[in-house]
Formats: sequence, C-alpha cells, structure tokens
Amino acid sequence: MDKTADLLPGTLDMLILKAVSLKPLHGYGVLLRIGQISKDALQIPQGSLYPALHRLEHQGLLTARWGESENKRKAKYYTVTPAGRKRLRDETAGWNRLASAIAAALEATPDEI
Amino acid sequence: MLHRLRSLVDALFRRDRFEETMADEVHFHIDAYEKDLVRSGVPRDEAARRARVAFGGVERVREECREARGLRLFDELGQDVRYSARILARNPGFAAVAVLTLALGIGATTALFSTINTLLLRQIPFEDPDRLMVGLKTRDGQTAGPVSTPDYFDYRELNRSFEDLGQFSDNTVQQTLTGGARPELVRAMFVTWNVFPLLRVPPSVGRHFAPEEQQGQSSTIVISDGFWQRRFGGSPDAVGTTVNLDSAPYTIVGVMPRAFRFLHEVDLWRLIDRDDPFETQRDSHSFSILGRLMPGVSAQQAQSDVDVISRSLEQQYPDTNTDKGLHLMGLHGAMVQGVRVSLLLLMATTVLVLLIACGNVAGLLLARGQQRLSEMAMRSALGAPRQRLVRQLLTESVMLAMAGAIVGIALAYWFQDLLVELLPMGSTGIAPAIDAATLGFALALTVATGVVVGVVPAFRGTAVDPSQQLNAGTRSSEGLHSTRLRSGLVVFQVAVSIVLLIGAGLLIRSLMHLTTVELGFNADQLLSGTVQIQTEDYPTPEERNLFFDTLLEDINAQPGVVSATFINKLPILSPWMDWQIWLAGQPRPSAANRFMAMARWVPPGYFDTMKIPLLEGRDVSDRDVPGSPQVVVISEAVVRSLFVDRDPIGQMVKIGWSDEPYQVIGVVADARLNRLQDAPDPALYMAGFQVGDTRGQVAVRTSSDPNLLVGPIENLLRQQDPNAIFSNPATMRSIVDDALGDFRIVILSLSIFSGVALALTAIGLYGVLAYHVRQRANEFGIRLALGATNLTLLGSVVRRGLTLVGVGLLLGVIGAYWASRLIQQLLYETQPLDPATYASAVLFLGLVGVLACVLPAWRATRISLVEMLRRE
Repeated sequence: MDKTADLLPGTLDMLILKAVSLKPLHGYGVLLRIGQISKDALQIPQGSLYPALHRLEHQGLLTARWGESENKRKAKYYTVTPAGRKRLRDETAGWNRLASAIAAALEATPDEI
Repeated sequence: MLHRLRSLVDALFRRDRFEETMADEVHFHIDAYEKDLVRSGVPRDEAARRARVAFGGVERVREECREARGLRLFDELGQDVRYSARILARNPGFAAVAVLTLALGIGATTALFSTINTLLLRQIPFEDPDRLMVGLKTRDGQTAGPVSTPDYFDYRELNRSFEDLGQFSDNTVQQTLTGGARPELVRAMFVTWNVFPLLRVPPSVGRHFAPEEQQGQSSTIVISDGFWQRRFGGSPDAVGTTVNLDSAPYTIVGVMPRAFRFLHEVDLWRLIDRDDPFETQRDSHSFSILGRLMPGVSAQQAQSDVDVISRSLEQQYPDTNTDKGLHLMGLHGAMVQGVRVSLLLLMATTVLVLLIACGNVAGLLLARGQQRLSEMAMRSALGAPRQRLVRQLLTESVMLAMAGAIVGIALAYWFQDLLVELLPMGSTGIAPAIDAATLGFALALTVATGVVVGVVPAFRGTAVDPSQQLNAGTRSSEGLHSTRLRSGLVVFQVAVSIVLLIGAGLLIRSLMHLTTVELGFNADQLLSGTVQIQTEDYPTPEERNLFFDTLLEDINAQPGVVSATFINKLPILSPWMDWQIWLAGQPRPSAANRFMAMARWVPPGYFDTMKIPLLEGRDVSDRDVPGSPQVVVISEAVVRSLFVDRDPIGQMVKIGWSDEPYQVIGVVADARLNRLQDAPDPALYMAGFQVGDTRGQVAVRTSSDPNLLVGPIENLLRQQDPNAIFSNPATMRSIVDDALGDFRIVILSLSIFSGVALALTAIGLYGVLAYHVRQRANEFGIRLALGATNLTLLGSVVRRGLTLVGVGLLLGVIGAYWASRLIQQLLYETQPLDPATYASAVLFLGLVGVLACVLPAWRATRISLVEMLRRE
C-alpha cells in the first residue's frame, strides 16, 4: 500500500469523467485508463465502478452505446456529454483550489504565524 | 431533471433489457480482467478466481446500479403490492366488505363533487364571467325582485362602475307562433339589445339586436339553436324569415350558438317594449338588471356606487322610491341560488357517510392488525425496518381504497345520472358531467381515504417489540390502546349517525306539514291545461268570450265532467302577478303603504269548481260583460287590510294602473296561489268576460280519473278552432306534488344516506363487540366455570356496547343541536330543536345499538368451557 492511495469520497466520479473525456471507453477500459493516467497510484475497487457509471449516465453526464471491443466482443462504451464536460471543468477547478489551499496550509512554517 | 426521468422511465419500462445489459456489462468486465491476468502469466483457473474476487459481489453491484437509476423504491413498491395482493386474496371476505364500503363512500362523494364542481365552483361559459353582475330591487334592505324601467335608466345613466347595464325578464312567457305549417307554443325571454354584447357571445348565424331596434315596439327576434334546428332544420335561410308571435309579425335577425343559455331555456329572445305604458311607471317592476363591471372596479365599489344613486332617487321620488334600493350579486351566484343549499347539505351528508365508512374499514384493519402482530414481529426480527412494515401496511390500505375507487367511480356515473334527474337543475342552465377534475378529485380522495383508514392501524400494528411478541406465542391479547381506538371510532360513528338521523327527521316532519297544508282549494280530481286562441281569429272581447263560453259548455257536456272553468293563472301552477288595490275614494297610496293582491280573472262558477268558499256577496255572473260596470270579488286578506270596520260589499276600489273604479261584489276565502310554504295569498278576482283574454288556464272537475278527459278536450278544441292550442294538460294534484318535488328529493337523499350511515354504524358496533367477545373468551370461560350465569355475561357485553352507544348519542345530540340550525332555511313549521324528532331518532338508534350488541353477547354465552381451555 506504500505507493497507492485510497480515493477520497466524491473523487471517483471526477476520475471517470476525466478518463472517458479523453476517449470513449467501456467499463473495464475506464478502470485501466484511471490506473494508467494515475501511474497506478490510485486503486479503484472494481465493483464500485459500475454503480458510479450508472449514476453518471442517469444524471445525463455520460451516454452509453453498444460497440465492439478490441477482441471483437460486444461492450458498452461510455461517452461524455456536453453537460459531463462542464461538470468535469467545474470539478477540476474546485479540486485545484482545494488542493492548493490544503498544500499551502500544510507548508506553513512557524514564522508565518 | 428531464434526463433523469427519461432514464428512470426507460429502465422501468424496458426492465428486462436493462437487467440483461447490466449482466452483459459485468461479464464483459470479469472476462476481460481474467484474460489480462492470463496474459500476464497467471494460470487460467487462478485467473478466473482472482478476477471474480477483485470484482466483488456481482449481485450487490447490480443492486447498487439499480439504486443509481432510482429503481429501488419501485422494486420495493412492487414487492409490497404483490405481497398485499396475496394477503388480501387470502381474506376475500374482509377485502370484499372493505372494498364495497369504500366504493359506496367514494362513489357518492365523487358524484356529488362533480355536481358541485360544475354548478357551484366552475365558472359559467361567458367571457370574464366574474365581472357579470345581476341587479335586483330591495325594499327595506330585503331583496324583492325586478327593477322598474325608469330606475334602470337612472342607474344606467348615473353609475360609474359598469361598462353598460341591460335589462332582462326574470321569467319566460309562452307565445303562439304561427306563419308556418302548424301553430306552436314557444318560450320567449325579454332582453334589451345590449344583453348579448354584455355577455360577449356572438351569434352563430345572422346578427344581434341593433340599438335602434329598441325604439318603440320592435319587430325583430333572435332565436335559439334548438328552435332553429327544430323549426327550420338549421337552414341559414331562417334569418330574414318573418313569423307571427301572438299574431304580430316578427323578423328573425340571428341565431345564438348551441351552448348558449342565459338563465332560462328559451326558444327565442324579444326586445323589451319601450312603448309599454307600464314601463314608464317608477312603481312597476318588471325586469332585472344585468351589468358588466368596468376593469378594476370591485363588486363592493359598484354596490356603494349604486347605493348613492338609490339614495338620491329616494329623495327625488319619495312616493315610489322610499326604502327602495338595488342589490348587486354575481351572475353565477344568481344562477345557482336555488340549488346551493340542497347541494351543500347533500355534500356535507356524503362526507359524513364517507367518514363513517372510513371508520368501519379502519376498525376492520385495526382488528386485523392485532391478529397480524406475530407476522409483523417475525418480519421485524428478520430485519425489515419498521418504516418498511408501515409502508407495506399502508400499501395494503391504499390498494383497498383503489379497488374501492374503481367500483366507486362506476357507481359515481350512476349516482350522477340520478342526481341530474332528481335535482332541480334544469333551472340553472348548466349540465354537470364527470370530467378530468372530478376524476382527479376521486383519485386524491382515494389516496387520502387509504391513508386515513390505514395510518393508525399501520403504526399500531408495528409498534411491538418483536421478542415480546414472539414469546407471547399464539396468545395475542389486544392492546388496551387499540381497543380504545376502536371504541372511539364507534362512538364517533354513532354521533355522526344521530346527527344525520335528526336532520332527516326534521326534514321529513317539514314535508309532512307541507303535504297536509290547507291549500284553500280542492286539488283532487281536477284536470288543468292551457288554452290559447289567436287575436286575429277573435279580434273583439265578445268573440273571445263566446269561444271560451262555448268551450266550457262543451266540456261540461262530456261524460265524467262535474264542472269546468278557467282563469288567467291557476294556483301553484302559475304564481304571482300582484297588483295594487286601494279604496276608490282615496289617492293612490305610496309604495311604502300600498297593498298588493294577486290579480286573477274568472268566469261565473270558478269558485264552485275549485271549491273555494264564497263567504259573502255574490260570484261574478254572465251579466258582468264588457260595457257593464266593472266588478271584483276579493279574498279575506284584502278585506282585512282595506275594510277594517266596514262591510266591503258594494264598496268601490281601484286596481293596478287603471283609474276606473271596480265594485266589490263578493268575498271568498284565501287560498295558496304561489308557494305551499307561504301563507295563503290575498287575491282579487275580476270578471273574466269583462277582460276578454285570448288565453285561459282551464280547470275541469271530474268524477273519475281526470287524465281520461285530455283526449276528448283536445278533440273538442280541434273541432271548434284548428288554430287553438291546448297545452300542458296535467292533474292539479300532480302540480301540487311537483311543487314539493325538490324538497322531496333532498329528503329522500338525506334519508337514504342516514340509512346507509345507520347500517354502517351498526356493522361497526357489531364488529367491535364481536371482537371484544373473542378476545375475552378466556375470561368468560373461566367465569362460567366459576359459576357465573349466562345472563351476567350477556349483561356485561351489552353494557359495554350500550356505553359506547350512549356516549356517541350524547355527543351526536350536541352536534345536531348545532347542525340543525344550518338547515333551518329548509324547514317548514318545524323547530330546529323539535323534541319529537330528537326523541324518536335517539330511540331508533338506541334500538339498533341494542340489536347490534345482543348477537355478540349471545355468542359469549355459547362459549364451551372445554373448547376454551383447549384453545390455549
């Protein structure tokens, strides 16, 4: 567990949106893509991926259609909708603000007090 | 939001596909991971195992996906519905009783709501209908009918609240239409030219009246769609056609649309005649006022505006306008005035009956809830949260209500037809129908009913600690709280029933007083009908008199006829037409001091045929003809008012608007001429042959069934004059009965509802006591074993039942004391606190209560000791 981190609550949706925004993916592909872009630092429980995908589709942030996978099998591919892209931008901005605020807070030294 | 709904609906309605694709997706994932593991060198078996473990519980994932789609609530609802259906199907008797009880309540309430919605709540079909006002005259602040035309002109001229004011006749007149293949009696209403523009309803063919046609005696008419279809087959050529009305020519200028109805169902509209000499009199009141409020002016502002005008008219014309005013009311209110009280009374009654029905079903559910405590405890122990159990029980009661509603709405259609037929709704000109609003109401009512009857039983039925309940085993003793609730329900039902019974009783007593009311004439074996001849055929009074005289002689010669007579307006059938009467030596009294009597004209023998006693002097005779001195017979009430200490016979009086004196030749008893509910009316009877009318209402006294003479009289008339019309033959008895028709219907419905309420209450009481006996079977068994007699047990059960009835009666009588004042308006010679009615209603309900107690009590005494002890 030294090199991996658990997900913060609420960040899974953001990661899925990011992964799918690069290229339409099926569920398993989303898992691999998140691993790849986080350099295997983030571990996602495989089962929790699907309720999240369904939730995002239900909210209209993703759309799904059936396509053919690399191995010629039928698979459900997800694509980001315009609403999804907007949500991803908002969440990314929010995340960056939070992260830099926390980083700044943690780097505080005694002189700054 | 829309997207989520679509996604949910998609998943719901294509559930199979949704489940299938979800499974495919999961399998694809696991397979793909397994292949990747194999590729990285893991053995195939091990790879398959690791892929499954890494994914986690497939079923849990799928359930979470369903939840993400918002499907869970529906799944649980589906389970609840299926479970409830199974439970209810297992108790068909219980389900049938509950469903039928609710169906009756929901059906009756829905039908009445639809009627009330159409008549009282919905707006009339005119543009901006709430801006339309009707103006009626007031005397001493009391509304007293139509307004005089000179007053109308002043209100129209001086007011600053209305766009315009018009006049219309309160009632309709029958006229003879000739100038086609056959003569026909038609119904006409008088209006001013601006009434149609005020209502903002354009004609479907032709045009409205033109303002200049109002000058003098006009000769144009507008006809109704019904008459247009009937007489002209809907041909557009009808416009421009000339027809004769009572022998005068009129040209049709327009046809109103099919749906158009303004206060009365009529065949045609005529313009109010401005040349009529009565219309220049400030104390002749013939027409009501219609007005449209200007934008931004409220009804109150308009009322204070006309009040100012009324006061200045009082000062200007003290003789005629003292204490006279104008009362404004909404057109809609004016149209439904007649049925409002009856309808609201029926609605209140129905709601009470629905409440009683709810009480019974809630009682049933409570009792069943007690029997199902173990089941609930078991489910609770197996992990069902209480909220889920409550929801399941509520689903059950709402399902009962839904089933009740389906049967109930079918019943509502039937009730509705019945109501339309029975209630005096023809007069409102609006036809009610079950529509979307009504069905919406029924749906809301159903859900509310389901929740109302279910909520207490549901919470009571699940409020038990499972371990305790399961330990208690089969011995389910009813909780004290639940018993009290059911007892409370019965007390409430008894109270409501007694209120309904007393209300029905008071109305029935009023009806009894009304049916035995002294009419002042004999209505039995008397045939009535209207005879109309044409002025052009009989231009002089002498010719008309000859026609009617001959007709009476011919009718008298018919077998079965005792005597025949005629009058301008028969009692009850044709009310009003009151004229002023005063002593000839005095000036005409002012409006405030004048005395009015019903103006009638009769041939010799009228009082004889009608059996109105002649008290003094003589009847009119065949020597009282045009040209001879004018004579009049007056009724006792006129004598009392005009001739306090003088013999009236031989005195001279003046009548109506003419200045000619009449000699009083006789005095007759008063009779009820207008309404059965009112005191006998003062009347003055002039000599029919001195008037020489073209129309008469005949009355034929017969020795057998009066209806047998309709045919012979029609034949006689046809022989004598093919243009003469004999219309509306009916027995006088049926006319008197019809005058009470509305009242009978209200009483009939209230009686039926009270009967239903009583039956439901008796069933409820029986149910509670029967349950009570079953619960205490143990105790009774032991008491019997210890030597108690059957009689003591019987007494203890009956006592308990009668205590409930007693408390209910007490509360109900207090309620009735308050509620009976609300129906005072409908009572006739009956006090709202009539002791006889109260006593008999209490006695009756008490008796029913005893009957409902005795059966379960008797059961208690049949308990077998052995069986009792075995039950444990």
